[in-house]
Amino acid sequence: MAEERHPTRTQFPASAETQKPHLKKAPEFPILEKQNWLIHLHYIRKDYEACKAIIKQQLQETQGLCEYAIYVQALIFRLEGNIQESLELFQTCAVLSPQCADNLKQVARSLFLLGKHKAATEVYNEAAKLNQKDWEIYHNLGVCYIYLKQFNKAQDQLHHALQLNRHDLTYIMLGKIHLLVGDLDKAMEIYKKAVEFSPENTELLTTLGLLYLQVGIYQKAFEHLGNALTYDPINYKAILAAGSMMQTHGDFDVALTKYRVVASAVPESPPLWNNIGMCFFGKKKYVAAISCLKRANYLAPFDWKILYNLGLVHLTMQQYASAFHFLSAAINFQPKMGELYMLLAVALTNLEDTENAKRAYDKAVCLDKYNPLINLNYAVLLYNQGEKRDALTQYQEMEKKVNLLKDSSSLEYDSEMVEMAQKLGAALQVGEALVWTKSVKDPKSKQRTTSTSKASGFQQPLGSNQALGQAMSSAAAYSKLPSVGKERSQMKNLS
Amino acid sequence: MAAAPPSDFNGGKVESSEAGSKWLDAHYDPLASIHTFSACLALADLHGDGEYKLVVGDLGPGGQQPRLKVLKGPRVLTESPLSELPAAAVTFLKDHHEPRTPALALASGPCVYVYKNLRPYFKFSLPPLPVNPLEEDLWDQAKEDRIDPLTLKEMLEGIREKAEVPLSVQSLRFLQLELSEMEAFVNQHKSKAIKRQTVITTMTTLKKNLADEDAVSCLVLGTENRELLVLDPEAFTTLATMKLPSVPAFLEVSGQFDVEFRLAAACRNGNVYILRRDSKCPKYCIELSAQPVGLVRVHKVLVVGSNQDSLHGFTHKGKRLWTVQMPAAILTMNLLEQHSRGLQAVMAGLANGEVRIYQDKTLLNVIRTPDAVTSLCFGRFGREDNTLIMTTRGGGLIIKILKRTAVFVEGGGELGPPPAQATKLSVPRKTRLYVDQTLREREAGTAMHRTFQTDLYLLRLRAARAYVQALESSLSPVSATAREPLKLHAVVQGLGPTFKLTLHLQNTSAARPLLGLLVCFLHNEALYALPRAFFKVPLLVPGLSYPLETFVESLSDKGISDVIKVLVLREGQSAPLLSAHINMPVSEGLAAA
Repeated sequence: MAEERHPTRTQFPASAETQKPHLKKAPEFPILEKQNWLIHLHYIRKDYEACKAIIKQQLQETQGLCEYAIYVQALIFRLEGNIQESLELFQTCAVLSPQCADNLKQVARSLFLLGKHKAATEVYNEAAKLNQKDWEIYHNLGVCYIYLKQFNKAQDQLHHALQLNRHDLTYIMLGKIHLLVGDLDKAMEIYKKAVEFSPENTELLTTLGLLYLQVGIYQKAFEHLGNALTYDPINYKAILAAGSMMQTHGDFDVALTKYRVVASAVPESPPLWNNIGMCFFGKKKYVAAISCLKRANYLAPFDWKILYNLGLVHLTMQQYASAFHFLSAAINFQPKMGELYMLLAVALTNLEDTENAKRAYDKAVCLDKYNPLINLNYAVLLYNQGEKRDALTQYQEMEKKVNLLKDSSSLEYDSEMVEMAQKLGAALQVGEALVWTKSVKDPKSKQRTTSTSKASGFQQPLGSNQALGQAMSSAAAYSKLPSVGKERSQMKNLS
Repeated sequence: MAAAPPSDFNGGKVESSEAGSKWLDAHYDPLASIHTFSACLALADLHGDGEYKLVVGDLGPGGQQPRLKVLKGPRVLTESPLSELPAAAVTFLKDHHEPRTPALALASGPCVYVYKNLRPYFKFSLPPLPVNPLEEDLWDQAKEDRIDPLTLKEMLEGIREKAEVPLSVQSLRFLQLELSEMEAFVNQHKSKAIKRQTVITTMTTLKKNLADEDAVSCLVLGTENRELLVLDPEAFTTLATMKLPSVPAFLEVSGQFDVEFRLAAACRNGNVYILRRDSKCPKYCIELSAQPVGLVRVHKVLVVGSNQDSLHGFTHKGKRLWTVQMPAAILTMNLLEQHSRGLQAVMAGLANGEVRIYQDKTLLNVIRTPDAVTSLCFGRFGREDNTLIMTTRGGGLIIKILKRTAVFVEGGGELGPPPAQATKLSVPRKTRLYVDQTLREREAGTAMHRTFQTDLYLLRLRAARAYVQALESSLSPVSATAREPLKLHAVVQGLGPTFKLTLHLQNTSAARPLLGLLVCFLHNEALYALPRAFFKVPLLVPGLSYPLETFVESLSDKGISDVIKVLVLREGQSAPLLSAHINMPVSEGLAAA
């Protein structure tokens, strides 16, 4: 093997050999894999132009036999979006070395990207026969089954992949399946395990945080979102979710500071501008709030939450005509929400269209089961119209809801709302004893909390029970019911 | 923000472009024409005179003219052409003879060329791979003309399908041939013994039996056929062979060959395999799920750069310790070792023209370069201990010297809130007019609302009326009747005075073809002339769009245009099924004349 080195080595040592009795000298074949390492080095540093040049040269030299050159060419094609071409090249590779699972994997991957999930699963199964220890094959099989909507099979494959080797991606896919099926608890289980396995993965942390937020475990949610932000301070999903939680607690300034980071990273995010708008609303900077919300609305004209918030702010600004338009637009997109009709009714009342206001209240009452505010506002309107009997019915309805809520949860009521209810009760002169006992009890507990977080009477993140795909925007699209502003305006009428 | 100013201050410390930089700019030549990888850079005292030289295995522009260059300071000392592209260059001590000048090893193709005192000294070729005995047998038969080319082809194909040992190039080439070329090919090549040869993909050194700085080292080669070879430094015999599941791209070794060593190999399948002295195959495996672009060992931590723009730290057992995201793609990595302060850190050259220095996951320093750095090397150069050598994508050479007073502080990197937090939000401004309108709405909101509602109702009423009218007189281009579902749209082409009018008529019913339809044009005869103002429509097959063409001649020279009405009628009925109004363009042909 070892030989003394000639000072200058000729390209083809064969030519120096002795004459053979053939007409023509047989040329030496170049080594097929001669420049594979160079192709690979250019490929991994994403220098695709140089890579393609070498591949071309290499393929010419070997007359298309260099498998690795074809392989990388196919990878580059795929990165450039020419999936069909890449598929054909990978198939060529699979012909050149049929025992190689990797080629089959890539064929399947290209099929998958072309949306031929069924065909991809077949090829993956073929590849799994050649290499039974590869988690990637099973993971991708699982993903294919997700797209084929065979969730049970997908779960099996993904669990198999996890047994072979644990990867964050597999956990994410498994979690996604549970979310698609709507099984929040199982999804959270999976994500908890995943976070345990890789505690620095911000995507996992954020998703788990958002899931906690959906279920209403705010402490844990905040913890995970905070962790995500320590590892990646510009993770905008986590910032939006954490910001919306801060808003819930009234920390508008802190939330705004956090949003600045998002604003530079994703300046065209509708939920971001919605949240910023509501921060300004919380700080009573109404003009800025309207500007931001209008930008959000411009970016996402079909998002009813933004329209809802716009309606709310305009009501506060006493721009009832504008509020009416935003609210009716919101109702067009989301016709199943009682609060929207209530706000619309308030706007209509102020526009002196009592007939339609009543109809809106009727609709709201009919859609909503838990919000006593709707009945109270309706009762006030009816009372002002002199329809004492109907007002009384609504008042009693409200009491029912309040009692129901008191039993089930420890929701706090806005002091203004309680005061209003007491006044109305007195004016109606019915069920006085009942009202008083209740209201005496209520304000005590209220005042303690309201002093810490101002006007936190009725705050709830909207749409928190939507699928995870929308979780970001729903956790972010935060809004506030207008308990304060609206009742104040009605109180004038009453007194 | 209280937190903002310190973050700026920190940011300033990391920058190297400012006055407080840790580096002295020793040399920058954008036209040095050095195109290479970190693996092909080596620093060594090649002549034993205390002057450290830089050895560069240069691929040449476009990888066309491979050369071996030796630089003394910024100057090229010697330059010799190479027959093939160099894959790696290392310097190592091969024996105990005095003076202890290191030898230079250059891996290229299937060979390692060893230079001593910059003179060719020895050439090591990889042993040829075993060939498939069946294949060999077949060619032997061919040599004695006992087998015809067609059978040969079939047999070889059978081997390719199943056999463990792949075919030689000769057989593969033969399988590609057409029937007519086979005979000649066999005659030409049959006398030659078939062989399989592999190439070296990567190379590094491993101390033989002492851990000293100037101990004798073995060469460790990674080959294309998924093997690792350890060579004896004096006799150049293979001391050990190890098998890998994939082709190695980067190697990292620690320990001594005779005592105990750990070998990490980053492979093309995206995995990093870790081997020990007594293991013939990998002991641990790190699955990156991305391609590794560099492998560096810092103390006991293996730092792997992946092509997903991140650095990962792993223990020598393959457990992930940390991950750091980079702002751009990593092009190359190497070790920074400052002996005087006992510092070891990782340097990563990024595609955005930065070189970042990390100790574990803390950023120590950022060097900005005018071009993206493609190879890096740190060590003693000339008589200066801490020199950083970088070559750029455009072939430039940058040499920087670390100041003797410079201390890399931990935590000198990015800490605190991101800089974006200090920038103000761009809240859209509202004008005075907006405020005025707001006030007006507050005062007269009810009236505005009422007016709006009234107008809205009127608008709706009008729209509804117009719609009904259109339906009644079949003015719409889509037929509403269930019996003849039709769609029509028209295109006018041309500049005039002659236009081409194309009607696209489509039968939108699911299955029923339409027959017996007529098309009629209504137009102002003073302005336009049509060859046929009335014609029959052929049978309309469902789903297809039928283009019906006709020419329109504009007669007016006053540059005016008019509407042409197209009516689609059923035979025997006077009410049209549908109609379209075509706004004719002004005839430009006449206007220009």
